[in-house]
Amino acid sequence: MGTDAYADAAGLVARSAAAYVSSVPTDPADDGFFGPASITWRLSGDLSSIVAGLRALLVQALHPLAMAGVDQHSDWRRDPVGRLAATSSYLATVSYGDRAAAGRAAARVRRIHEHVRGTDPETGRPYAASDPALLLWVHATLVESTMVACELFGTPLAATDGDRYVAEMAVAAELVGIPAALVPLDLAGLRRYLSSVRPELRCTPAAADAAAFLLDPPGLDPDIAEIWQDIRDGTTAAMPEWALRMYGYRAPAALTPARRAEIRQALGVLDVVFLGEPGVLEARQRIALRMRAAQRA
Amino acid sequence: MRKALAAAAAAGALAAVGLIVARRGRLRLRRGLAALQLAARGGARYTRSAPRLFASAGRSREQLRNDLALQTAEDVANTLGAMKGVLMKIGQMASYVDDGLSPAARRALSRLQDSVPPMSAELAAGVVESELGLPPERAFARWDPQPIAAASIGQVHRAITHDGRAVAVKVQYPGIAETMAADLDNVALLRRLLRITAPSQDVDALITELRDRVLEELDYRREAANQRLLAAYYDGHPTIHIPQIIGELSGRRVVTSELSDGARFAELAGWPQEERDLAAETIYRFVFRSLYEAHAFNGDPHPGNYLFHGGGRVTFLDFGLVKHFTLAELRPLMQMARSLCVDNQPEAFRRAMEDAGFLVPHAPLSTEMIVDHLGVFYATIRTPGRLTITPDYASAVVRRFFDLRSPVAGYVSIPRSYVILQRINLGLFALLGELSATADWRAIAEEIWPFVQAPPSTPMGEAEAPWRARRLAAARD
Repeated sequence: MGTDAYADAAGLVARSAAAYVSSVPTDPADDGFFGPASITWRLSGDLSSIVAGLRALLVQALHPLAMAGVDQHSDWRRDPVGRLAATSSYLATVSYGDRAAAGRAAARVRRIHEHVRGTDPETGRPYAASDPALLLWVHATLVESTMVACELFGTPLAATDGDRYVAEMAVAAELVGIPAALVPLDLAGLRRYLSSVRPELRCTPAAADAAAFLLDPPGLDPDIAEIWQDIRDGTTAAMPEWALRMYGYRAPAALTPARRAEIRQALGVLDVVFLGEPGVLEARQRIALRMRAAQRA
Repeated sequence: MRKALAAAAAAGALAAVGLIVARRGRLRLRRGLAALQLAARGGARYTRSAPRLFASAGRSREQLRNDLALQTAEDVANTLGAMKGVLMKIGQMASYVDDGLSPAARRALSRLQDSVPPMSAELAAGVVESELGLPPERAFARWDPQPIAAASIGQVHRAITHDGRAVAVKVQYPGIAETMAADLDNVALLRRLLRITAPSQDVDALITELRDRVLEELDYRREAANQRLLAAYYDGHPTIHIPQIIGELSGRRVVTSELSDGARFAELAGWPQEERDLAAETIYRFVFRSLYEAHAFNGDPHPGNYLFHGGGRVTFLDFGLVKHFTLAELRPLMQMARSLCVDNQPEAFRRAMEDAGFLVPHAPLSTEMIVDHLGVFYATIRTPGRLTITPDYASAVVRRFFDLRSPVAGYVSIPRSYVILQRINLGLFALLGELSATADWRAIAEEIWPFVQAPPSTPMGEAEAPWRARRLAAARD
């Protein structure tokens, strides 16, 4: 599986934006599973969320069974941008959609997962995407990555908001089919769980391919490609050192305040590009108005 | 989205250093950067934020505007930090550039501007209090908490001073100066954005110029000083009016000036040609008298920066981008105009261009070619007689300026201290072309050229005489 096996990343911004716009409701029946006063809404709109998403995918890929499921059953090599857009769309629907929309999206994902079964060629172990253990891994890495990225490049959370966020996100875990009893409800529990999975992790060839794609997407529009250098540095800076070592990447030097500011500036530029896509401003204003209304209430 | 943003940044930086490009001579009139004129319109309200949202939602504009208002310095940082304020500034500067921006880039930058709501009344009041030492209701006899217009990195409020003057108060977003200064330090990122689309340009010079101009604009005290200087210079002038700065009600992030009323540029276009010619003559006199006599050039001949009162009377607004020249810097420019237009000595013109750094010495070009290439910039003043500045002429000037294929182009460059003056070629002529303004420009230039000092050539020149006599007397003292 050479790196020529997957398609390029042209249209990444446009397709992600379209997915986002169509997932932010114009006339929601209710506030969904989180609501405008939630930490989840606040973090979903944070500038750092791109780094959060990339970090989550890179850490998730180190679970050989999770990676095998994606590699053998999704068309991510042929259409990586479509795969990323579908994931953003799902996350935005679960965050901002009303309960019915979020529930429908989750049901669709659970149905797809039913068919994702097989044997990992690397470990020889069987896997099933509906396995709560795999789903929990994906869930927990996303929650943790969101907080790490925000701490580094976003508007940092208040001390107690970390626990609140982990607790809020338990709903998302249950939606995708993880039994409530398995889901960590605070930061300490989340970290304990993540450490416990470490022995199972390894960098399979598929994971290496996925990481190479995400850190240096081929065929990006040239203006985005220039900015992506900073996004990549931001992502590696946010990665756990053990994960970088597993991938064979050298751990980057500690992030200086100046470099951190530069990466944040690059995220801002990328955000402006995103904002230029049709409907993004309106979608953000819909969210902002609801958050403001919740603040006043 | 291909190259969109980089193109925007490049074009914006180009605009920032003085290239106000017009296509087919048509200026984009949509954005009045200093839309102070709204102030005089009573009911006119801040309409810039999220127009589409306003159009589509059931709630009143006022309500939505308040709902989205920035309430804290953190809101400001989230909205305009992380390079966004700098990009917005670039976007504002590029907003009247018609060429060189892809539709996607234009959309991204215009959406960015739409994405910035005004400050809440409380946040703006906090800035006023920190600058003036008193909350606005006490600093002023009356204070309108609703902003009347978006301004450069801030907004404009109406107020009445304790001594009864109606004023416009420009209030800057809190914390934005520090944020944007830090963002402008990221030269590497700016360079990357520019390099993709402006490979032939001296990117570092563009960045330096962009940085200097924006940093200057962030300090309203500088703008106040420039406006005060030019207001004093034109005090008593029959047609040029510059609103007075109220010094005791101004600071680094707040600037208060006398409120002015008048017609906007778009309205002037509907006035009789005679009125348009008079307004054009005033603008022309203002630009060249400021340059040759006050040694200052207002680098923003943006259509939003004028109010028209009829009879050629014009109020000039927004002095955030004024460049001061030394006599030594101006002398080569005068020498160039003099050799080409007055003395008709092409060789001397060529030498003057070389001395000033516009032309590489000993370029393997005939002087005839050089005059042929650069003469277009002097076309309105090379020969006496009435002449109409058409949109076609304005376009020709712009095309020549950007014509990199000419054999002359490779030997011509613009020294940094004169970069801003290119707004004469690329902005002023576009503006006058838009008005199809007719005058004997040469005769007016001769009145103003220090090396000619001709007597008045028009009724407006006659009307200037008493003001001029006072200026000359003041200069002698």
